[in-house]
Amino acid sequence: MSQSALSISGVDKFYGPIDRGVHAVQNLTMEIARGEIVALLGSSGCGKTSTLRMIAGFEEVSRGTISVAGRKVHTLPPVKRNVAMAFEGYSLYPPLTVRENMAFALKAARLPKSQVDAKVASIAKLLEIEDILERYPSSISGGQQQRASLGRALIREADLHLLDEPMGQLEPQLRAVLRGRIKHFIKERGLTAILVTHDQTEANALADRIAVMEGGVLQQFDTPDMLKQRPANLFTGTFVGEPPMNVFEAYVGTAADKINLRLPDGLSLDYDKDAFSGSVRDELLKRQRVVIGIRPYAVRRSKDGVPATVSANQWLGDQTHIAADFAGGSLVLVEHDRTRLELGAPINISIDPKNLHVFDQSSGMAISHGMELA
Amino acid sequence: MEHTSLLERILRGIALTLVVIFFMFPIVWILMMSFQTNETILRIPPQLVFKPTLANYTALITGKLTTAAGTLDIAFMRNLWNSVFLSVTSVAVALLLGVPAAYAFARHKFRGSEDIAFTLLSFRFAPALLVLLPLTLYFQKLGLANTYIGLIWVYQLICLPLILWIVRGYFEDIPADIEYAYRIAGHSWFATFRKIALPLAGPGIAAAGLLAFIFAWNNFVFALVLASADKQPVTVGALAFITSSGIQYGQISAAIVLSITPTLALALYAQRYLVEGLSLGAVKG
Amino acid sequence: MASLELRNVVKRYKSQTVLDNLSLSVADGETLVLFGPSGAGKTVLLRLVAGVIDPDEGKIFIGGEDMTDLDAEFRGVGMAFQNFALFPHMTAFDNIATPLQAKRSSQNAMKAGVESVAKLLKIGHVLSHKPRALSNGQKQRTALARALVGSPPVLLLDDPLRNVDAKLRFEMRLELPRLLADRGATVVYVTQDYKEAMALGDRIAVMSQGVIMQLGTPEQIYREPANIEIARLFGDPTINLLDIKPSRDAKGIYVGLSNVQVHLTGAYDATVGRDCVIGLRPEALRFVDEGTPAAIPVTIEAETPLNEKIVTLVRTVRGREILVSRPAGTPGQTEGSAHIAVDGKSALLFDRASGDRIGAKNVVNLHSGEAA
Repeated sequence: MSQSALSISGVDKFYGPIDRGVHAVQNLTMEIARGEIVALLGSSGCGKTSTLRMIAGFEEVSRGTISVAGRKVHTLPPVKRNVAMAFEGYSLYPPLTVRENMAFALKAARLPKSQVDAKVASIAKLLEIEDILERYPSSISGGQQQRASLGRALIREADLHLLDEPMGQLEPQLRAVLRGRIKHFIKERGLTAILVTHDQTEANALADRIAVMEGGVLQQFDTPDMLKQRPANLFTGTFVGEPPMNVFEAYVGTAADKINLRLPDGLSLDYDKDAFSGSVRDELLKRQRVVIGIRPYAVRRSKDGVPATVSANQWLGDQTHIAADFAGGSLVLVEHDRTRLELGAPINISIDPKNLHVFDQSSGMAISHGMELA
Repeated sequence: MEHTSLLERILRGIALTLVVIFFMFPIVWILMMSFQTNETILRIPPQLVFKPTLANYTALITGKLTTAAGTLDIAFMRNLWNSVFLSVTSVAVALLLGVPAAYAFARHKFRGSEDIAFTLLSFRFAPALLVLLPLTLYFQKLGLANTYIGLIWVYQLICLPLILWIVRGYFEDIPADIEYAYRIAGHSWFATFRKIALPLAGPGIAAAGLLAFIFAWNNFVFALVLASADKQPVTVGALAFITSSGIQYGQISAAIVLSITPTLALALYAQRYLVEGLSLGAVKG
Repeated sequence: MASLELRNVVKRYKSQTVLDNLSLSVADGETLVLFGPSGAGKTVLLRLVAGVIDPDEGKIFIGGEDMTDLDAEFRGVGMAFQNFALFPHMTAFDNIATPLQAKRSSQNAMKAGVESVAKLLKIGHVLSHKPRALSNGQKQRTALARALVGSPPVLLLDDPLRNVDAKLRFEMRLELPRLLADRGATVVYVTQDYKEAMALGDRIAVMSQGVIMQLGTPEQIYREPANIEIARLFGDPTINLLDIKPSRDAKGIYVGLSNVQVHLTGAYDATVGRDCVIGLRPEALRFVDEGTPAAIPVTIEAETPLNEKIVTLVRTVRGREILVSRPAGTPGQTEGSAHIAVDGKSALLFDRASGDRIGAKNVVNLHSGEAA
């Protein structure tokens, strides 16, 4: 079952001469099991698209190997890799109708017409494009083109399905349902999918595991929950999570049996030494300065918390976002109820050590996460 | 970012060289001819090595043309000055009239604006010779024949449509929001034209001006018919080298070199604006 | 400070009417959000107020004064554009200073004014840069600074956060209300993002095809949308819409959802036997144990987390798809069969033919029915 669907080993990508050109992907190693949905997440220029194109075979691998379903493919042309792909720019064949676009690969594989028709019909229903099957790409909207392109990729049987920004242009009203349906479809058929996206909501919604990339380097490869609970470094910590993590620089101090984390302008968070596990406490005490992070939904209002004033109170229908200023900084908290607070109103906020992320100030590497606390 | 092989680079180099030779050959040949006497020029086969002489240039500058049949007075320097004066003034007038008009056409669509703009452009469609006969009669009646003013006026037929249509495109490419933003900030439409539209269309205006200048400089027929010797530009003046005793190739070449120098210099100087203007880099900030 | 009023404004382009007899008033100091799809006429409306285009009919009042025939430079409004509309040949400082220049402020006053607004928007360090050297976020802040610098009584913001990335957009969304409140300006804010609309608007005007479909507080728009279209535009994930036909039994009006009778309370007598649509917000649905009264049996298709919420796509026995959302970290089933119950707070009933919401009462109360 856990046979590897994709194995990337020590892959480098240089644009220009090897070792001297632009180092777009740096020593990437990843193992993806059959049936997994994996997202490559990062901002533009992080190397995610180069990686996808190397897997598909549109880009040469400068160094390292790529295997699909146990077969080394990095020297093969795209057509021999048994990989299906949905392109970011849709790349639908303009002279063909949506139906013909979707059926193209199946016909090429000499599938009987009745089977082709049945498959097109079921995918079309899934993506709600039944009524545009006979239309040409130029006469349908961007969202419909994206769905057609997605359909053309999903309809194929392949060892790997590569989806490049598959849902960016989808009509917002359809997005949630389509995400659910597509995830169900992929899981039900046991397909292996890799999607490239800059949109973390999309990655979170669809992927079993997310590979966060930045500057050509894989920062962390983990489940969405683990990325949020145990970010490996400050980059993933602040990149993943919406609204983003609140981050502060802090001085580490000790007083009696307390450890205090003092923000540059006064505010001090005091915790019992025993609140931290031994190794984390040691790591903490080795340093004078650290960066601390707290997720917006982990900030609580409580009577004995730090005094702050409300600078924004925004209700979005199912969540309330509150921004608060306190001595030396400001932070954001999220509540799931409708909270009504006046601008400038005093509140007290508390940061539970259980929810605190601590990072090294210079390297940005994580020192501790709430769950490692004693 | 594809890296290129050595072979590819060599082939590309060869191709570029061929193109450059093809386009530069006439100019280089003329430059060489301008330093030769008629005898060496007409020698068969032509020779690449010769003893250069400045005689052609001297003749042009002093105005004394020595031919087999004797010495002729020519007014080449006068012609050159006429060319400069006529072209510069025509372009200046055309810019003065054309740029505001182009702005109006670009920004204020009114009933018939398209038709007027097209009519102005259509002046360029008419063959010059067709227009010339009636024009000559009018000009003689009005006393404009053989005057600088008359010539500059006629040159507007060349310059104005060109500037109007090119510059209009540049104005249209400036996002209206940018001008709206300046108006809303509290500035009059004229200030907006001066401080926003003009600077942003600057490269385009420079490009159009240069193009108009080249067209004006190269004009032949209008000046041939409407001007007498003392008002004629170089293009017409060059006719003087076709003398009764033969064509003075050396002097013609020297005259060509002298007469393309100003346009060439201007084009080189304005190259930066031209490229910038033609790619519209300034606006899409 | 000034209020803003549009009276019976009509704007046509060629034969197309982009604003159709539109009237609107914005109170002094209020933030009104114009929300709607592109082509709804939002931007045209802003431009009419700014005075860069003229209405074909109707009047525009700012601070009670008729401004309809006044040119843009005399209206004293500030405006920020979606594409920033910075002057590419001027530094950020000069860009921001243009409104002060027009007022012929002294050099010192200009410098002070620009620097204070730049500090507020955290762009003090890039004032000497030309727009092309600015990041998108900085461009957006520069454009905003230019709109704010002259302390105009009326501020027009045309989707100013459209072209910045999600993180910056979120940051600015939290920052803006205070910025605007501190200025005390009357604000008209255009956006296509419902979250921005709800977060920033004192009131929201939902526009479609040149008319205002609904005007109300975020609360009213979200809880009492005028029609299906508006209900679908607000909320992520989108509201669940199911075709139903209310019936009546001894206990009152009920709707059948997967063979479960859910009774409605409210003035729905007229709906019996009519083709209707029931709207259920995903967050108003929850998973319950089997045997709970009015529990609807479903099978779970997929779970898709969304910003601290878990969104679950479920399918009813009759094959209808329903989205259920719950806060992350709260318990819930992840696969197999399950039961859901309707949280009585936000079910909405619409007429299927017209799409209009039914019911004089703002909130429909559902009470538990018995399993059929």
